[in-house]
Amino acid sequence: MEKLVDVIDVCKIYNPGENEVRALDHVSLSINAGEFVAIIGQSGSGKSTLMNMLGCLDTPTSGTYMLHGMDVSHMTDNEQSDVRNREIGFIFQGFNLIQSLTALENVELPLVYRGVPRKERTQLAQKALQVVGLGNRMDHRPQEMSGGQQQRVAIARAIAQAPPILLADEPTGNLDSGSSREIIEIIKKLYREGRTVILITHDPGIAKQAKRIVTISDGRIKSDIINPDADV
Amino acid sequence: MEYIKGALASIIDNKARSLLTMLGIIIGIASVITILAIGNGLKFTVGGELDDMQSGGVTMVINPKKTDKFLTGNEVRAIGEQIPEAYGASPSVSAYMDITGRYKTSGSIRGGNENAIYGQTESIVSGRFYNSDESESGSAVAVLTQEGAVMIFGTTDAVGKTFELQYGSQSREVMVVGLLRSTEEQIKNAYPRSGVESYNYPTVYVPYTLLTQGFGMPGENITSYQIFPHPGEQDPASLRARRVTENILGIRGEGAVSVQSYASMLATFDRILNIVTYVVAFIAAISLIVGGIGVMNIMTVSVTERTREIGIRKALGARTDSILAQFLAESAMITLIGGIIGMLAGYGLTFIVSHFMSFPPRVEIADVLMVVLISTSIGLFFGIYPALRAAKMDPIEALRYE
Repeated sequence: MEKLVDVIDVCKIYNPGENEVRALDHVSLSINAGEFVAIIGQSGSGKSTLMNMLGCLDTPTSGTYMLHGMDVSHMTDNEQSDVRNREIGFIFQGFNLIQSLTALENVELPLVYRGVPRKERTQLAQKALQVVGLGNRMDHRPQEMSGGQQQRVAIARAIAQAPPILLADEPTGNLDSGSSREIIEIIKKLYREGRTVILITHDPGIAKQAKRIVTISDGRIKSDIINPDADV
Repeated sequence: MEYIKGALASIIDNKARSLLTMLGIIIGIASVITILAIGNGLKFTVGGELDDMQSGGVTMVINPKKTDKFLTGNEVRAIGEQIPEAYGASPSVSAYMDITGRYKTSGSIRGGNENAIYGQTESIVSGRFYNSDESESGSAVAVLTQEGAVMIFGTTDAVGKTFELQYGSQSREVMVVGLLRSTEEQIKNAYPRSGVESYNYPTVYVPYTLLTQGFGMPGENITSYQIFPHPGEQDPASLRARRVTENILGIRGEGAVSVQSYASMLATFDRILNIVTYVVAFIAAISLIVGGIGVMNIMTVSVTERTREIGIRKALGARTDSILAQFLAESAMITLIGGIIGMLAGYGLTFIVSHFMSFPPRVEIADVLMVVLISTSIGLFFGIYPALRAAKMDPIEALRYE
């Protein structure tokens, strides 16, 4: 199995000195291609910091983060932007769609930054929207859609350019139970199709859908177990 | 391209705000364009008239505040003969009249005596210049340039043809006795073209007495005349002309006769016009700077409002320079559109103003290019600060922004 994510002894310390906060305290974590991992922790446990780290939005204070064979721990902002663009599909709790753009334009956005030509870009985006069942809502703006639909647009955006990793941060946090189930089903389907999924949540009910559950608390990994009951 | 499209979409999404932001630029550019167009028209008209009058001549003026004496036409001719440094002297009366030949037009009518030919740089190409008898008898004869003949008759074959001069309610039929050479280029451009308004007017040379006697214009009692010095002898010629004039009138030492060189008048006129242009440009520059600061203001607000959007874009892989380009494109588009609106408003204003003034506005392509360049530059310059703010945002902070 190809090792996609390799976090080696990473610390993230805010306010070094007197009131220092160790958001991540010597964390090590490896994730292989094709895995479905849930990272679970209460708020303040350091899971957001870990998610930012895994998503290349943040750099560690110490330690090394190898992503897809590259050391991304000491990259410049622009290099990080490129890595995020190529390697990671983000799914956020708050959907994070741009309100002034249509669904299609939102899905095209990462492809724009990758420099994909317009025609190909539109095709890829349309295909991704069809995968999440929104082929008929392409020209709608986010405020014209329900929360569940918005999150599906966000998923389409995350998979449009087929990045190796899907990084979902509380993807059902803002949704009712019906929409939540729908979203989880789509994520599971993407996993079955061979994508690597990292799901960050505080909800054990969501976490237990994953094949592997990593529990984080006080900036440390408390447990890292294979979930035999996963129903994927 | 992608950035410009995005910028336009964002401007359209916030129509009212964009328009208010543009207002400073619109007013600035509109005033620059109006002043430039009026200034150019003024320079062209007045400068053209001065050029016509000048023709190498020096004008001698008898100051009516210092003496009530004046010269007759024959005295002016005699003065010319007493100046070895000059070809001759001629009274100088001019007017602007309607002209009807085969075509209707209007033009500059220059009255002088037979010596006025020395004020011409071009030679007679057919016919003759009017003679001394005609000069003093109010004869209805005229000399045209070939260019002028084309404007009036549509042909350079004009000797012997007649046209009508109209001044107020009076009109006279005038016969062409001679033509002055024009260049091929001038002749070609002079042909009347339908729909194209030409700002080129014919110049008509007639005996000064046609204007004074024939049309009753002042100038029979001559208080100013032109001498035509040999090349390089302007100063001795004009000094001698002053002395001779004072002798004839018996007013030596009263300082009543002065020299007016059109070259120096032209220079003075140019200088004044330039000063006016600079002052106006300075005021316009201030209004453009104020407009630019307005753009900077709104863009900064817009960047703050769109913090979350910037965070999303960065998370999805936007580089620092992509964000920078996005916001620079937006501010440049705002000022460019403002500039274009301002330009149109300026030309509209010029058109109205020129209706009430006696000279045509001049619209120059260079001005249009300048507006595009300047307004875009303002947008880029004043957009730098807000765009940098946007580009330097930390994606985590930006995503957390509510």
